[in-house]
Amino acid sequence: MAIAPMPAPELLPTWNGRNPAAVVTTRAAELDGIVTLPVRELNPWLPQPIWAPHEHLGPTDVEEVRERTRARLQQLDWSKISSGDRVNLVANPHGFALSGDAYVAMLEETAHHVESKTGAKVRLRIAESMGHIENPDWMKIFDLEARFGDAKECPQIAQGVEIDTRVGKMYLTKQLFSADHFIHTHVTEMREGYLHRMQDRLFKPFGMAYTRLETRSAYHFGYGPRTGQLVARAVFESEFIQNRYVSTVVLNTSPEGVVDVDADNDLGALDRRVATDIFRNYAVLIRLMSEVKDVTVVFDGHGNTVYSYAGGIPFDVLYYSNADWLDLDNPALYAALLPDSMRGLVGQYMMGENANIKAYVINYMANGVPYLYLIKGIPTFVSSPQVMDWLEQDPSACWIRDVAEVTNGLADAVDRGKRIAKSDNVLVYDGLPGALHVSESLARDLRAAAPRVTEDVEKVRMPKWLAQRDLPSVSLSRARHA
Amino acid sequence: MAKRITMVAEIIEDKCTGCNKCVLTCPTVAITMRPRQPDEPGPGRNIAVVQKDVCYNAQNCIELCPDDAIVMRPLAEPFEVGTEPPKASAEDIGQLCMRVGLLPDMLVCVCTNTTAGDLAGAILDGSHTPEGVAIATGARTGCAEICLDPILRMLAATGHGDAPRNPRNGYQWYGIPGRLMDFVGPDGKLDAELVAAYPLMPLQKDVNAMMFNMDEA
Repeated sequence: MAIAPMPAPELLPTWNGRNPAAVVTTRAAELDGIVTLPVRELNPWLPQPIWAPHEHLGPTDVEEVRERTRARLQQLDWSKISSGDRVNLVANPHGFALSGDAYVAMLEETAHHVESKTGAKVRLRIAESMGHIENPDWMKIFDLEARFGDAKECPQIAQGVEIDTRVGKMYLTKQLFSADHFIHTHVTEMREGYLHRMQDRLFKPFGMAYTRLETRSAYHFGYGPRTGQLVARAVFESEFIQNRYVSTVVLNTSPEGVVDVDADNDLGALDRRVATDIFRNYAVLIRLMSEVKDVTVVFDGHGNTVYSYAGGIPFDVLYYSNADWLDLDNPALYAALLPDSMRGLVGQYMMGENANIKAYVINYMANGVPYLYLIKGIPTFVSSPQVMDWLEQDPSACWIRDVAEVTNGLADAVDRGKRIAKSDNVLVYDGLPGALHVSESLARDLRAAAPRVTEDVEKVRMPKWLAQRDLPSVSLSRARHA
Repeated sequence: MAKRITMVAEIIEDKCTGCNKCVLTCPTVAITMRPRQPDEPGPGRNIAVVQKDVCYNAQNCIELCPDDAIVMRPLAEPFEVGTEPPKASAEDIGQLCMRVGLLPDMLVCVCTNTTAGDLAGAILDGSHTPEGVAIATGARTGCAEICLDPILRMLAATGHGDAPRNPRNGYQWYGIPGRLMDFVGPDGKLDAELVAAYPLMPLQKDVNAMMFNMDEA
């Protein structure tokens, strides 16, 4: 497949006043030997996007997203909402980061529809994610106050509300639910698949993004490697949420962009409807990451380690690719939380610490997410003193200067990583959707592995994954919904 | 365990409205309010004050400040906290960890590399509130998220679960969420009703995994 080289997405000003574009003068995609490998070349069955963030991948106009949103919303029951009611339209930063204009268009159409249909007042409430992630300033970039009037970001460190659930007390971010009703929105991409394990995918924000610190901590420490989603289900099924919940609207995505808009009052039904698409659009790419050998990983965009994206999938897929976490028979424990004293006993049931990651390069990476456990013992290079200063000022990474070295620019950092890896394989996480920025050697390896991985997924793994979740069969060779 | 403190919060006094949100969210309770004096121009009757030696660069305050009245300044001389070894015995530390279902060498605060044993040591040495544990170890001052539940459970296990919030309407912590082990009987079996309610989730197998009984996980 012929495709023109695609540049790395531009770096944007962040909410905490940093301007990485002024500091990062060379992007990894510009280095000699880095090529653009389209995801479609590896996964040719992907549906054509109705919106993509880059013209090489599909239409960048959002009109089709608007039209499909309007059509889906027409079919929903809004009778719970009365004129004059306050309705929170609950959004999340990942929607803005991954689906940008399409996500905003979906939110706008939803707000307009609900206000005109019911006479209610719709307010945008954005559930802020972990810690103080150095996100681009989405409020300003998408002019959200002007577009929505009442628009607020709601951090999980702010005021909470205690609720009763089937599994005990849980604590939510109060501002998200301070309304008569709320509408849940989401994007179906495969962030944190190792946590939700594709169980109740669309419920996940009720166990994490919409909750306070305590609940998120319990998701990690109070439940097993396959059952954190019990928190999400219990919160969603609580009287507090059910009294307020109206409907869910999602952008159904592929690694290239948005392939559909879907909506339902019944979150469970919607979740099952999009689940097969998620397996179809992401599963082979997820498994293909287990074929990446002896690689130097370059972080060169917004997002931080596990929340950094390449070709539309996050770095956590590579980091945890030593375990098939889509297989619910696999009890693999998170490496970070596995005590040293237990490694000898249960170490074979561990996911993370992918031994094929030989070196890390940080050209730019957002602050605000714990990651030192993840680079522990792996040579790490930072391409400039300014970026190292920013990294060290991160509340979650105060020891970075002790474990990473500043190099003479990006090319030097990548060269040093490759020498340590004894391999030319480089994989760049710069947020480019639809295509991977990789070294020629890794592009060759991935092209060679793709047919074998596809066959393995379609004939062996996928039937088991789907049966475990009581989902209908999925074909990679026939058209979607065939 | 330990945290290196590289920045300190600084109040921009002529922007501070005295709204108190920074006070409510600081995990080390490093911010208080003082009255604004007549010769101090500004929009509110009170001004936030940072106690610099317990400002651990958590940055919760700047995230909640609605008036852009807080900036983080790099420290000329960073300092480290949580570097002292515990005075409590290894046996006592081990017992406290086991009472909340954790092993002493299990990493709990992934931002500061603080283990369950480090936290137990701090609590046994006299840190009897969440803010006390944060000041002693640096935990809760990174992402502020991942470590909170084990800290609250350890405090409760030592009889300090009723520590008053500081300030009393603060957002730093609320309570202990429910967990899967709450539904496990003495025989190691999960509540049958819970299992029946979520038939596609491998709940019992995950209980076994949490007890490192991987053969039955």
